[in-house]
Amino acid sequence: MRAEPGKGGWYHRLVVYLLFLILLLPLAGTLLYSLSTSWSASLLPSGLTLKWYVALWSEPRFLAAFGQSLLVCVGALLLSVVLILPLLFVVHYHFPRLDALMNILILLPFAVPPVVSSVGLLQLYGSGPMAMVGTPWILIGCYFTVVLPFMYRAITNNLQAINLRDLMDAAQLLGASPWQAALQVVLPNLRKGLMVALLLSFSFLFGEFVFANLLVGTRYETLQVYLNNMRNSSGHFNSALVISYFTFVLVLTWVANRLNKDKT
Amino acid sequence: MSYVSVKNLRKRYASSTVFENIDCQIARGEFVTLLGPSGCGKSTLLRCIAGLTPVDGGQILLDGHDLVPLSPQKRGIGMVFQSYALFPNMTVQQNVAFGLRMQKVPAEQSRQRVQEALELVELGAFAERYPHQLSGGQCQRVALARSLVTRPRLLLLDEPLSALDARIRKHLREQIRAIQRELGLTTIFVTHDQEEALTMSDRIFLMNQGRIVQSGDAETLYTAPVDLFAAGFIGNYNLLDADSASRLLQQPVSQRLAIRPEAISLGLDGELDAVIRSHSLLGNVIRYRVEVRGVELVVDVLNRSPADLHEAGKRVSLAIDPTALREVA
Repeated sequence: MRAEPGKGGWYHRLVVYLLFLILLLPLAGTLLYSLSTSWSASLLPSGLTLKWYVALWSEPRFLAAFGQSLLVCVGALLLSVVLILPLLFVVHYHFPRLDALMNILILLPFAVPPVVSSVGLLQLYGSGPMAMVGTPWILIGCYFTVVLPFMYRAITNNLQAINLRDLMDAAQLLGASPWQAALQVVLPNLRKGLMVALLLSFSFLFGEFVFANLLVGTRYETLQVYLNNMRNSSGHFNSALVISYFTFVLVLTWVANRLNKDKT
Repeated sequence: MSYVSVKNLRKRYASSTVFENIDCQIARGEFVTLLGPSGCGKSTLLRCIAGLTPVDGGQILLDGHDLVPLSPQKRGIGMVFQSYALFPNMTVQQNVAFGLRMQKVPAEQSRQRVQEALELVELGAFAERYPHQLSGGQCQRVALARSLVTRPRLLLLDEPLSALDARIRKHLREQIRAIQRELGLTTIFVTHDQEEALTMSDRIFLMNQGRIVQSGDAETLYTAPVDLFAAGFIGNYNLLDADSASRLLQQPVSQRLAIRPEAISLGLDGELDAVIRSHSLLGNVIRYRVEVRGVELVVDVLNRSPADLHEAGKRVSLAIDPTALREVA
């Protein structure tokens, strides 16, 4: 749709630009701060430099935290794909009535605040046969439950849009085994929903702090925990960290969208 | 010997019986239609034959072999769905080739057979398109080509025309019938549309509430309904109870009577005096509601000229073809 030219159009555009300005202002400020030599008593920074980025990207502790964050996020997402995709498939193909139950189940991670559930998790996994607190494993498991709603909803919408039953039936009548039908016909058509779910979940997990800090803390430092631990160091340095992290997510999203657009 | 033979087929869900003791025979090369209102079990019967829905008992013999123990992919049956069920991630060519790929047909041979199948449905130029770039009618033709290319022993069509608009539906139904004749393919077609059933089929099985109520060619089904349901479902029969029928014919009638609206002629010098109550123009036919001896009848008259159009309230007279009267249980 195109906006009507004239007053209405100007007004609408103004609102959109204002909104963008408000949303981008903190980011732009952070960016500028991360690039400035010092910026305290003046309106504009006294000089521009890349030294904070150089310092950041040559700091081994940052690189380790970055890698560990990546590892935990990718681990959790892999786990969720491996578990949720087949589950969703079975629910929608064989037991469509379970969908209502699943819809309630996936709300649970929202129902309990992270601070509360992490106390529970500390109790459960702090000692005993499944002592995992302080290891990345508990974080992977915990993140799996956190992204469950995103994964479930996005893939369900996709599944409902493709007429799963008829596709499976058609493929099987053409000689495909149920496995072949699922892998060659259904799965490729879930790519879009899956990509959306993964990106959303990844961006969310990459910025997750509460669970990471309470369950693991410095024993397996993730990016957000590292950021928190560095809060007393230079603000320029931290700004460079935030911008680096944001740019990383942005580039990842952009690349994924480009890959997704190729076919159809 | 019949080519397809369904014996004593039973299907029930937890709470209700879909059908019981279904028996039917279909000859090789025959085009058979399962016709009935929604929920009569016709689609379930089709899915049972395809193997997509398990049966609870009975046999389905195809060319003398029981299909019931076989999985759908081993039955050699092609099926076209109302929703087309084309694979959205594949081009037309890939969709049609899918069945051949599953059968591990060599690439060169596969390409040729796909091309032939696409020519058959007049979509040779569309091989590289994706399903979302096609119209509904084109999609359904691709689906037809996809199910024909594997040379199935039996073709099942599950309301394939129901999602299409009227003009395309008529064209496609002629095309389907022509292809079926050309290939001599035994076909079972499911529809709730009596016009489709009457125009396309060699034989029609009329179904209601899980039973085959009547089977026969279009002519028999249309002119000789066996019961009240058949008379009510096919055509626009006037259904009169015994009292009204006796009054109309002025002779005792013991059963319900069905009269086709086009078997009554409307004129100015017939034996029955009647009054026009209302009329509606259906195009080539004018449908009148007339009252005669306290009985209201529907009468169809060909719309030959403006003189055929009678206003409401006009006195006319009727003549009823006695051979068209059907007593129905």
